[in-house]
Amino acid sequence: MAKAELKTNKKTEIEDSSSLKGTLASVFFLGIFLVVTWLSVYFLFLDRF
Amino acid sequence: MSSQTTKLKVDPRDGKLAMAHFYVAFIALTLGGLMGLLQTLVRSGKFELPWGIDYYQILTVHGVLMGLVLTTFFIMGFQYAAISRTAGTHSPAARRIGWIGFWVMTVGTIMAATMVLLKEASVLYTFYAPLKAHWIFYLGMTFVVIGSWLDGAAQIMTYARWRRENPGKPSPLLSFMAIINTVMWIVASLGVAATVLFQLLPWSLGLVDTVDVLVSRTLFWYFGHPLVYFWLLPAYMCWYAIIPKIIGGKIFSDSLARLSFILFLLFSIPVGFHHQLTEPGIDPAWKFLQVILTFMVIIPSLMTAFSLFATFERFGRSKGATGLFGWFKVLPWKDARFTVPFIGMASFIPAGAGGIINASNQMNQVVHNTIWVTGHFHLTAATSVVLTFFGITFWLVPHLTGRVLTKAMNKLAIIQGWVWFIGMAFMSGAMHFQGLLGGPRRSAYSTYGDSAQAMEWIPYQIAQAVGGSILFLGIILMIIIFVNLAFFAPKGEEEFPVGEAENLDEKAPMIFENWKLWLGITAALILFAYTIPFIDMIQNAPPGSPGFKTWGSW
Repeated sequence: MAKAELKTNKKTEIEDSSSLKGTLASVFFLGIFLVVTWLSVYFLFLDRF
Repeated sequence: MSSQTTKLKVDPRDGKLAMAHFYVAFIALTLGGLMGLLQTLVRSGKFELPWGIDYYQILTVHGVLMGLVLTTFFIMGFQYAAISRTAGTHSPAARRIGWIGFWVMTVGTIMAATMVLLKEASVLYTFYAPLKAHWIFYLGMTFVVIGSWLDGAAQIMTYARWRRENPGKPSPLLSFMAIINTVMWIVASLGVAATVLFQLLPWSLGLVDTVDVLVSRTLFWYFGHPLVYFWLLPAYMCWYAIIPKIIGGKIFSDSLARLSFILFLLFSIPVGFHHQLTEPGIDPAWKFLQVILTFMVIIPSLMTAFSLFATFERFGRSKGATGLFGWFKVLPWKDARFTVPFIGMASFIPAGAGGIINASNQMNQVVHNTIWVTGHFHLTAATSVVLTFFGITFWLVPHLTGRVLTKAMNKLAIIQGWVWFIGMAFMSGAMHFQGLLGGPRRSAYSTYGDSAQAMEWIPYQIAQAVGGSILFLGIILMIIIFVNLAFFAPKGEEEFPVGEAENLDEKAPMIFENWKLWLGITAALILFAYTIPFIDMIQNAPPGSPGFKTWGSW
């Protein structure tokens, strides 16, 4: 039981209100999306020309 | 960031001029939207235009009304109000110039529209030579541009007065952004003014017999690319400086917002060649250079994406949201002033991705002149920009008319946003796929002699008609909302939201307001990117072309 309590405490510490990790993840997703769409048309180009 | 001298309410005299702009903008939306619906129906192959109306005529009406009239009128009205709100009420002189600008633009619009209706100007909104319209059409378009300069001059006067009265202080963010956009518009529209005044008008008046097609197209695209940023930057003004206030958060960084706008001023103009990548007569080295400059514009766009995600996450966490994406759930989804522009922001992700593909030299060959491009700018302009403009309308129109956005209208506005999204997903999505299969843009319905390839396109064209019909429903809903907010909503006070920066101690560097520096770099980049190719085009010009009229008369 004591252990579980310790765990919750730790969690609140990590959840810092100034954290921007969601922003970091979002811009990574955005970057991956740009690369994937670009590459898909790039391969279409290679295939056709 | 905002000075204490700023007023919280737009002066009613300024509000009247802004509203005059919005009336014209929404009339353009109604008529232009109807034309768009008819186009998608014609292209489905199930419908023919009655009374001898020509497909290219309605295509011209749609492009001119939506791309040039709706946007320019809305933007000038919005920026005029935003400056009045943040830099102070316009002086009587500035207001008078603003009114003259409004009337000059309106008269120009009527002149151009009349010629299109008379079948004298089915030249599409790009009015490429050697398609030749009646000279009144070109003169009308000149009036629209000159009127917008006068509108811009009124904004610049009020900004200059604020700077005089507040020496050494950074100007209010919204005013600064509006002025960047106005300055970019003036520099860019010099190109279209040059081709119209020196080439198309003398040619359509019969003073000269031929026109240099490449020079006129190059001048058009010198203007045409910053034109799309002229549409986009007011949406960015809302995203950066207004949405944070609406959600109850803060602007992530005032300086970052200003820097991204300066980068747009610098890199939006010397990039027109990426619209002319398949054009003969331009040295590939110069196309390469302008493609590099085009890719520079991605930087402020990605800065914007980061900044918006950060604003949302900071707000969400301040509300107690946890986890990687917990902040997303606590955003005010029931507030149309946020949700509708948010759909616009989200649409800018595929829209931007498509733009990077278009500007990549080799891949441009896959999509050039296909309906993919039409799908692309229906995501950028007709979704990201237009839904943000609608989002602004929901609070700005009642603010100016002394009314309020009621709960019922707020609900209808959210429905309107989703209807638009669904319609555009069908229409723009189908356009993208059809374009990848080689379907051409700017063409009426044809099975091209029942060729197998053209047959592949038909299902996508039907999907576009379905999407177009849903979008037209979206336009009807928007008109209901606009008329309600302008004339029938209950009297009251609707807020003009202006965001505050998270860190008020962080003062924007004064170098951002150094116009000599930024205009100097802008001019240097333009001269660098365009001087030698232009000399080349003129020195090695082929014989000029006579005019062509590819459409019938009434």
